Amino acid sequence: MKQFGKILKFELFGYLKNKVFVGITIFLVIAIAIAMFIPNIVDLFKPDEGEGASSVIVDGGDSGLPVMLIYAEDGRLAALVKQYFAEAFTGYNVSVAEGTLDEVKDRIKNGDVKCAFAMDSASSYTYYVNNLLMYDTDKAIADTVLQNVYIATAMIQNGMTPEQAGKVISVQIKGETVTLGKDQMQNFFYTYFMVFALYMVILLYGQMVATNVATEKSSRAMELLITSAKPTSMMFGKVLASCIAGLAQLVIVFGTALTLYDVNKDAWGDNILIESMFNIPVELFAYLLVFFVLGFLIYAFLYGAIASTVSKLEDINTAIMPVTFLFVFAFFVVVFSMSSGNVDNTVMKVCSYIPFTSPMAMFTRICMSTVAWYEIAISIAVLIGSTVGVGFLAAKIYRVGVLLYGKRPKIGSILKAVRKA
Amino acid sequence: MRLELKNIYKSFGEKEVLKGVNFTAESGKAFGLLGRNGAGKTTTIRILMDVFPADSGEILVDGKPIDYEELDFGYLPEERGLYPKKLIIDQLVYFAELKGMGHKEAVKAVDYWLDKLEVSEYRNKRLDTLSKGNQQKIQFITALAHNPKIIILDEPFSGLDPVNAILLKDVVKEQIAEDKIVLFSSHQMSYIEEFCDSIAIINAGKVALCGDLHDIKRNYVRDRLVVQTTNPQPIQADFASACTVRENGSLLIQLNDPAEKQSVMKRLVESYDIDEVKVFEPSLNDIFVEYAGEQI
Repeated sequence: MKQFGKILKFELFGYLKNKVFVGITIFLVIAIAIAMFIPNIVDLFKPDEGEGASSVIVDGGDSGLPVMLIYAEDGRLAALVKQYFAEAFTGYNVSVAEGTLDEVKDRIKNGDVKCAFAMDSASSYTYYVNNLLMYDTDKAIADTVLQNVYIATAMIQNGMTPEQAGKVISVQIKGETVTLGKDQMQNFFYTYFMVFALYMVILLYGQMVATNVATEKSSRAMELLITSAKPTSMMFGKVLASCIAGLAQLVIVFGTALTLYDVNKDAWGDNILIESMFNIPVELFAYLLVFFVLGFLIYAFLYGAIASTVSKLEDINTAIMPVTFLFVFAFFVVVFSMSSGNVDNTVMKVCSYIPFTSPMAMFTRICMSTVAWYEIAISIAVLIGSTVGVGFLAAKIYRVGVLLYGKRPKIGSILKAVRKA
Repeated sequence: MRLELKNIYKSFGEKEVLKGVNFTAESGKAFGLLGRNGAGKTTTIRILMDVFPADSGEILVDGKPIDYEELDFGYLPEERGLYPKKLIIDQLVYFAELKGMGHKEAVKAVDYWLDKLEVSEYRNKRLDTLSKGNQQKIQFITALAHNPKIIILDEPFSGLDPVNAILLKDVVKEQIAEDKIVLFSSHQMSYIEEFCDSIAIINAGKVALCGDLHDIKRNYVRDRLVVQTTNPQPIQADFASACTVRENGSLLIQLNDPAEKQSVMKRLVESYDIDEVKVFEPSLNDIFVEYAGEQI
């Protein structure tokens, strides 16, 4: 136990004295500080609002808006559509096209005109645009407007007055949503954010543990270490030290973000994304901590054990590949389930009990869905049990592994040696 | 203090590495553990230091089973290696602490040894900035700083210049004088002869020869004579095939019977121009080659 404390201290100081580790932390803090001050910085460069407003008036109306043309062989149809579109597309200067369709296309190509609707009939058109944006909603709006026009026309033809038709079409449905469980929309961002942080930190530090063990072995410091300390103390000391270092880094980075967000709260205004990110319920932080620590430990033990079987630093990457794959798989299951909107699908349910995937899967389900307390308890209990088990197994593999030099042994022969040891 | 290894057996998988190792080392004396590469020396040392257990056999200290909580080992592994990127003081203190020293005590001990081995100027440097010889001295400190009762030195003087070798030899002699058990493992027979009172030669997992080095040499059959002369031809002609020339130019005469010793000596001195004649005592090198040479 005494040895464990000393190893923990030595390894922890190793991180604190590591220039790369300190450098990355400082860089992250500065980057986040800058990001948090962005609205203030942007404000500095904005011209005074009074001037801006008056300049628009001087320009006199909508000449600054992009142009949308309506083209139709039938002049009456064109005028009708123009009238409705002008109401629907307030961001455009909508007008009826003059000249042929080819001329309209040319004007779009050379940039005079943003887009055009060529009407074949009241219910059929072609949408012309130069570069179609990924999130172009113009066509969807046009569809709705045209459909309404079509319905209104039909109603009028069947004897309704235009006022009656207009009322029917423009009826507003009043509805309200009361969320009794979790609001996935609001939770999505911070859940994604935390799962991603979990993913990055575990992957990064897991590999640091692996490199650390392999360096000791390749520099032969191991020859002395193994005769000075118990492998269990070595393994647990090393892994816990990296866990504390990782946690400290997270706390520093998130702490900076949170503090500076508080300072700049007014400047951020009602940015929904940012606001939702910083309104994480406290109990979720507690769960994050639990799943972070356990997930971190179980992977770090695996990385450490595997690295102990490698003789040369160059071989680490290939050796730890299977563990990395397992972890990346867990991450993708979670991310895909999150974006599909159903975090309670069967795969996620199964994954939230398997120790290697549960840190991310169960955590996501807690964030974005309603999970019974006993499900959480079972998942955490399984995870704790497996982490301790993997820890002791890792220490055993470590003791056998560190004394093996030369060609990397097969998994089978290591397990055989472990069983004997 | 007496350290006894009794009937140590160890296999790795199918391979039987130790097939009954027995020897006894006593404090205040240096003990030489010899053997060819792969004979089982390192495995014996690791079992002794409790890195892994033996399959069977026992290790006794003064007749009682060894207590690793109480007994400290100092170890200089053959494969040298510490943390290349860490400060010397940090890692030396760390290793001393792992062996159970308190922090202040460890710093004090490490500083004492840095000073004694004339490397205190490197105290706050990184290990990889040091020359090989100085790294060797630093490694030596890891074996000695915590004042262990049993010291195991594997090839302690390899890679040292003569001045540093003398410095470390004196340190080792001091440790022996402090009534510690010093176990040597080396292929440089001259060092073993210089330091060790007792030896064990391990060959193919067994102790092929064990005991007091002086006795071992004495017990050799005394049926050979070494003759130092400036004029070897007449003697060679006289003894014909019984006489061979050694590497250093002296003659080695094989007797038919140890009892002939006196008469042959007398005849040599009376008949020829002789500078020196004495009974041949094998060097450790000769003994090693004889016992460990062809049996693997």
